[in-house]
Amino acid sequence: MSKEEKKPFSQTMAEWRQFVYNPRSGEFLGRTAKSWGLILLFYLVFYGFLAALFTFTMWVMLQTLSGDIPKYRDRIRSPGLMISPKPVTALEFYFNKSDSQSYAEYVSTLKQFLKSYDDSKQSKNIACTAGKLFEQNEDRAIKQACQFNRTKLGSCSGVEDDTFGYAKGTPCVLVKMNRIIGLKPEGEPHIECLPKEEGKVQITYFPDGGMIDLMYFPYYGKKLHADYLQPLVAVQLAIISNRTKEEVTIECKIMGSPNLKNEDDRDKFLGRISFKIQMSE
Amino acid sequence: TSQSKQMGLQEVIPGLTSARAAEILARDGPNALTPPKSTPEIIKFLKQMVGGFSILLWVGALLCWIAFGIQVAQGVASAFDNLYLGVVLALVVILTGIFAYYQEAKSTNIMASFSKMIPQQALVIRDGEKREVSAEQLVVGDMVEIKGGDRIPADIRLIFAQGCKVDNSSLTGESEPQSRSCDFTHENPLETKNIAFYSTTCLEGTATGMVINTGDQTIIGRIASLASGVGNEKTPIAIEIEHFVHIVAGVAVSIGVLFFIIAVSMKYKVLDSIIFLIGIIVANVPEGLLATVTVSLSLTAKRMAKKNCLVKNLEAVETLGSTSIICSDKTGTLTQNRMTVAHLWFDDQIYSADTSEEQTTQSFDQSSQSWAALSKVVTLCNRAEFKPGQENVPIMKRVVVGDASETALLKFAEVILGDVMGIRKRNRKLAEIPFNSTNKFQLSIHETEDPNDKRFLMVMKGAPERILERCSTIMINGEEQPLDRERAEAFQTAYMELGGLGERVLGFCHLYLPEDEFPDTYPFDTDSMNFPTSNLCFVGLLSMIDPPRSTVPDAVSKCRSAGIKVIMVTGDHPITAKAIAKSVGIISANSETVEDIAKRLNVPVEQVNKEDARAAVINGMELKDMTTEQLDEILINHSEIVFARTSPQQKLIIVEGCQRQDAVVAVTGDGVNDSPALKKADIGIAMGIAGSDAAKNAADMILLDDNFASIVTGVEEGRLIFDNLKKTIAYTLTKNIAELCPFLIYIIASVPLPIGTITILFIDLGTDIIPSVALAYEKAESDIMNRRPRHKKKDRLVNEQLAVYSYLQIGIIQSIGAFLAYFTVYAEQGWLPNTLLGLRVNWEDDYYNDIEDSYGQEWTRYQRTYLQWTGYTAFFVSITIQQVADLIIRKTRRNSIFQQGLLRNKVIWVGIVSQIAIALILSYGLGSVTALNFTPLRVQYWFVAMPYAILIWVYDEIRKLFIRQYPGSWWDKNMYY
Repeated sequence: MSKEEKKPFSQTMAEWRQFVYNPRSGEFLGRTAKSWGLILLFYLVFYGFLAALFTFTMWVMLQTLSGDIPKYRDRIRSPGLMISPKPVTALEFYFNKSDSQSYAEYVSTLKQFLKSYDDSKQSKNIACTAGKLFEQNEDRAIKQACQFNRTKLGSCSGVEDDTFGYAKGTPCVLVKMNRIIGLKPEGEPHIECLPKEEGKVQITYFPDGGMIDLMYFPYYGKKLHADYLQPLVAVQLAIISNRTKEEVTIECKIMGSPNLKNEDDRDKFLGRISFKIQMSE
Repeated sequence: TSQSKQMGLQEVIPGLTSARAAEILARDGPNALTPPKSTPEIIKFLKQMVGGFSILLWVGALLCWIAFGIQVAQGVASAFDNLYLGVVLALVVILTGIFAYYQEAKSTNIMASFSKMIPQQALVIRDGEKREVSAEQLVVGDMVEIKGGDRIPADIRLIFAQGCKVDNSSLTGESEPQSRSCDFTHENPLETKNIAFYSTTCLEGTATGMVINTGDQTIIGRIASLASGVGNEKTPIAIEIEHFVHIVAGVAVSIGVLFFIIAVSMKYKVLDSIIFLIGIIVANVPEGLLATVTVSLSLTAKRMAKKNCLVKNLEAVETLGSTSIICSDKTGTLTQNRMTVAHLWFDDQIYSADTSEEQTTQSFDQSSQSWAALSKVVTLCNRAEFKPGQENVPIMKRVVVGDASETALLKFAEVILGDVMGIRKRNRKLAEIPFNSTNKFQLSIHETEDPNDKRFLMVMKGAPERILERCSTIMINGEEQPLDRERAEAFQTAYMELGGLGERVLGFCHLYLPEDEFPDTYPFDTDSMNFPTSNLCFVGLLSMIDPPRSTVPDAVSKCRSAGIKVIMVTGDHPITAKAIAKSVGIISANSETVEDIAKRLNVPVEQVNKEDARAAVINGMELKDMTTEQLDEILINHSEIVFARTSPQQKLIIVEGCQRQDAVVAVTGDGVNDSPALKKADIGIAMGIAGSDAAKNAADMILLDDNFASIVTGVEEGRLIFDNLKKTIAYTLTKNIAELCPFLIYIIASVPLPIGTITILFIDLGTDIIPSVALAYEKAESDIMNRRPRHKKKDRLVNEQLAVYSYLQIGIIQSIGAFLAYFTVYAEQGWLPNTLLGLRVNWEDDYYNDIEDSYGQEWTRYQRTYLQWTGYTAFFVSITIQQVADLIIRKTRRNSIFQQGLLRNKVIWVGIVSQIAIALILSYGLGSVTALNFTPLRVQYWFVAMPYAILIWVYDEIRKLFIRQYPGSWWDKNMYY
């Protein structure tokens, strides 16, 4: 058997050539031109039909969706925390306070981020009642947004110090809570940041106490709530100078609200965030 | 006197001393055949670990570990996922390997029980005294004693024999008992009368002899080692599976490499590209399929065992189905292996007798007085007797003491007359001359049962011509008529006719001894024969044959419609062989051999055009002188062939001849000498009852009832499993596309991964397993015995149409259906399809925890991952739901499902229920186990892919409709697999 099956190489090659193009039957890769034409036509029609059917079923599915709010929000019951600026790699800040180049990236990100909080952008926004949820009537097609003035961020607002403290060795990091449609925090939510080891760093919050005002909730979605500005908390880190060159890990959590989780085992960013910062001179 | 002679011998030859025997034993080794070299278990096991898809999966596992190593070095948080995946892949290979090994071992174990024989004892003279030792302890030079019923324990030269007869059938194929004596009669050890061979049996008498060969040195041992020299060839199904593995592995590797290149050129990191490659391999390889095939084959093997075909090697199950030539023995396989009266001739007329296995009456005309006379002769002139205590056993099944012809006559008489022993008692036997080869007749003298008739009745039977010589009258219609030339010619014609049927003919005559010459007290002396033995009255002829089994003609015609050529290979006389071949249909009623044509046209044989003759009867002697070309010519030109007077060795030549025609050859055999042919054949079939151990060892299959018809049912099962394996593979391959597409889309469109590697394994080794085994229970779509055997090289298990239809049509529909579910899950959670495109890099960034969805909400990494798992689950469930549709459509390849019956195969429903149950358990029961990546799914997502499942069914019905409507059309050629 095996002896019969072993063909000389030249014969194998000839058979392959024959398969690729057979001059006698005019077959190309085992099929004649007509046969290829038919099979391609068949698949054209077949896939055309499938494409149409897929498009149609997708369209039907999309028709069932509302453009304003997603059908389900059960995968995001509680918001995550995030910071700005976000270092490119992991959440680790490295900069030299005397080298403006080393923190230029952070500064420009912050500037960019805070642009939408400029007063000029907030002409349409209203001043809401602080400390109360700002629930709006359902039949309002366009929901109103509450004002959030950059001045609330104090020395981290970039108004007075356009290096956000990086040049002075007191870098600012903005902490924000993820937007979730319809989320109504209870209690008095505020951000609390703790360095891993005591005494390495001194933390100042803007607004005071890291408060997140309830008037910014609930959120009604991108379409209805186009002007919405999410509340921010600025954290200014005054790194104790003899501690420089050492890495400082800081963990921020959302506190004071029973329905905002901050202790999930698996989700390390649910209501909390930790980042490292290392400054040199 | 014999006693004293034997005693004397024993005194003369004290045998070996125990010490000397031990010495020789140490030199020559035990007197046993070396079992055929078997592959060591560990090698068998390792082969399972690297065979089939295992290599591909090992590569996958290795890549996983490499990726893990690199990621650990880079400090990636999810690195351990790859380690686990690698371990899982390795486990999959090892577990499926263990499973396959276990299945293989289980079927070999059935065999092991066969070879386990009761240790044989031999009576040996050592140290001057007789003792029983195990036959394995015998050494050259030992003196052994044998008696009737013993198996000969070694090759022995006889130095004393009394009435010793041996059955050499296991060695030579000749079933006639052969007498043995101490005379050296022939140069050839196989021919000389004073050698008895290992493993043959002593039928009667006693003998003493010296051991001349032991173990592998015996004649049998040499043949057995010849058999093991014939190489084992790959079974057709093994070739098919290899072919299929090549196709799938080819697709996997080429798509894998292609997308690796695409990924790299799309600026993906090499590491990521490697991980994609793993996903593509896992998605492409049907991990559970080979195990499923093994299970399906063993299910069929079980079913076949119930039908008396015991399969030793699982793969032989299918080989039987693709058989195109069966070379069958005659005696015992095609025939009942028992002489039976087939014809009678009396009153110048031939009567046929019933020869079926279960006869209880005979229906020929029994009113003639001649029959009364004939039946009396048949009853009285017979030494055979029923063993006592069998009154409740059907006559044909009773055990008889006596030779084959006498047994036939006894049973024949018992069926018609009843209570033969009573008749014999009433007609007391006074004298008897048993049959011997010089007289060629048997004679006995009886009192009559009529108390008024004081005459003695002499009855005689024997070779017809010898009987006729002694007769002067013949009985016609109860009257004695002179035996003139005309009558003698009528006898000759009848004798020739019956002989021409291949039957053994006996003549019967009688004579009433006149009362005056032979009074009551007449002393009959059989030595001086003081009574007349000529001028007798001829009564009739009876002819006997070993008749075909009643199921065989039907089985042969089934073979014929199934395109299987049946060739009879027998050691018997050509005339008998031809007669049986005709009666079972191996030679059909209207076919002629070259000799027949020559006779009909009255021309010499040489002038007949050989192609006119459909049938051929080849004599072993002719075969000996044939070149391979001549044999090939015969095998090609004649469709109905009988090989007669062949030696078992010639069987091998015939088998090789058939294999040269590209046929898949099944061969039956029982003798040791058949083992090379059994080994050489694509499927060797040993006889379970008559077969020798050597034959059983060499065979792939054992026919438990020795019945040819069982082979045919086996063929049917084999063909069915081939069809059903096609369905199983088509079913399994389909979803591989639905598993592969997500990876391709993931790489090209950079969407979040629709289905994970672990999830894929849960389909391949979870939900899909029971349904694909269930297809093995599917009934045949049409009469599978009405089509030709599959062509070894053209009709592939996995052909282009099957692969294309599964991959490019149903597989694509499934993928689309599953993607619909995927997009639905994401869209309803806030991620519209357009948002997903190009999202992959950010989506998978562990530090990007505020990605905005289509509605302005922001998601953390873990929230996204959890959503991704929901997507996996939805994709998984959609594939499962569509696999239910796929399972239903795979029930048939040509017929509508409604023709086949949705409910006929209950196991399919077990499969469907299991599939859904496993999916439910995975989603709702194990949804909280993080490592499995399943989540509890909203109920409606189970139905998203339903329209596509229905589409699969409808489309396949349309496909089958067109195939049935337009056979041979473009559609049929491209769509039928």
